[in-house]
Amino acid sequence: MAKTYDYLFKLLLIGDSGVGKTCVLFRFSEDAFNTTFISTIGIDFKIRTIDLDGKKIKLQIWDTAGQERFRTITTAYYRGAMGIMLVYDITNEKSFENIKNWIRNIEENASADVEKMLLGNKCELEEKRQVSKERGEQLAIEYGIKFIETSAKASIRVEEAFFTLARDIKAKMEKKLEASNPPKGGHQLRTSEPQKKPTSWLSRCTLL
Amino acid sequence: MPDCSATYETEVEEGQNKRVVKCKFCSSIILTPTTAAFSTFEYDLPVMKPNKDSTSPPETENISYFWAVKDMFTFFNVGFSNTVGNTKYLTCADCEAGPIGYHDITSKMSYVALPRVSHSDPV
Ligand SMILES: Nc1nc2c(ncn2[C@@H]2O[C@H](COP(=O)(O)OP(=O)(O)OP(=O)(O)O)[C@@H](O)[C@H]2O)c(=O)[nH]1
Ligand SMILES: [Mg+2]
Ligand SMILES: [Zn+2]
Repeated sequence: MAKTYDYLFKLLLIGDSGVGKTCVLFRFSEDAFNTTFISTIGIDFKIRTIDLDGKKIKLQIWDTAGQERFRTITTAYYRGAMGIMLVYDITNEKSFENIKNWIRNIEENASADVEKMLLGNKCELEEKRQVSKERGEQLAIEYGIKFIETSAKASIRVEEAFFTLARDIKAKMEKKLEASNPPKGGHQLRTSEPQKKPTSWLSRCTLL
Repeated sequence: MPDCSATYETEVEEGQNKRVVKCKFCSSIILTPTTAAFSTFEYDLPVMKPNKDSTSPPETENISYFWAVKDMFTFFNVGFSNTVGNTKYLTCADCEAGPIGYHDITSKMSYVALPRVSHSDPV
C-alpha cells in the first residue's frame, strides 16, 4: 500500500512536573470526577497529520510521565526523537530555571541534531506571572532555539507551537537531503549530460 | 447499540472504507478513504461512557465490525492509550472520546470499531 505521508516526525514534551505538558498535548480538563475507561488508563501518544507547504507530515507526539526528572531520563527515552518541546510554567520560577538542566540532559542523551523549542505555558495567568516574556526570549536566544508563550487552558498558540517545530524539522531534513544528494550525482555528472539533474529541472519547471 | 451490518455494507468498497472515518462527537478525521480493511470478528471493547468506580473491571460491549489498519501511521488523527496487557486502546485525538478501537501490540494491527465512529463524504 502507498504511504499516506511524506514525513514522520517523533516529538517529545519535556519539563518539570505541573508545567502543563499533558494539557498541551491532550485535552484540557478540569473535571476530575468524570472518569472514563480512557482517562483512567491515560493516553501514551497521539498521531496527527498536518499539511506543511503541500507535504503531508505525520506527527507522533509523546508526553512524559510526571514522576520523571531530568536525572532519570536517559538515552533510551530520547531514541528516535526529532523534536523536543521544552515546557515551563510562566507562574513558576523554578520550572524556568530548570530548563537549563533539561537542555543539558538533552545534550547528554539525545541525538545532537534534535530540534528544540521553548514553551512558556499558562500565559493566560498574567496576574500570577513570575517569568517575564523577555526572559523567555532571552533564554531561547542563548540556546539558539525558538520560543513561544502558550496556554493549554485558553487554547492559545498551542497548535502554532507544534506547526513551528514541525516546520523547522522539515526544513532541517530537506537541507540534509539536499546536502547528501547532489554531491553524489555531481561526481558522476559530466558537462555533456546536464539533464541528469531531475530535481532542479523539476523545480525550475514548476517555478516558471 | 445499533450494530447492523446492512448499514455498514454501503461503507465498504473493495473491502476498504469508502468514506472518511470520523469521530462521532467532534468530527475529527480518524482515517481518510481507502486506508483500512473491513473485517468481522467478535471483540469485547470497554464502553465509552463514564464509569462510577474505576476499581471494578470495565463494562464491555461486544463489537463485530472493524476497520483494520496495518501501519499505525496510516491514521490521520488518533490517540493511543497506555498499554493494558497486550493492548493499547484508540481514542479520538481531539476530544479523546474512546475507546474507538484497539491496537494489538504483538501483531501491530489496529482495529477501529465501526459502531463507535461515523462515516462521511470527504469535503
Ligand atoms: N491556568 C492554567 N493551568 C494549566 C495550563 N496548563 C495546565 N494547567 C494546569 O496545570 C496543572 C498541571 O498540568 P499537567 O498537564 O498535568 O502538567 P504536567 O507537565 O503534565 O505534569 P507532570 O505530568 O506531573 O509532569 C493542572 O492542574 C492543569 O490543569 C494553562 O495553560 N493554564
Ligand atoms: Mg503529565
Ligand atoms: Zn472527537
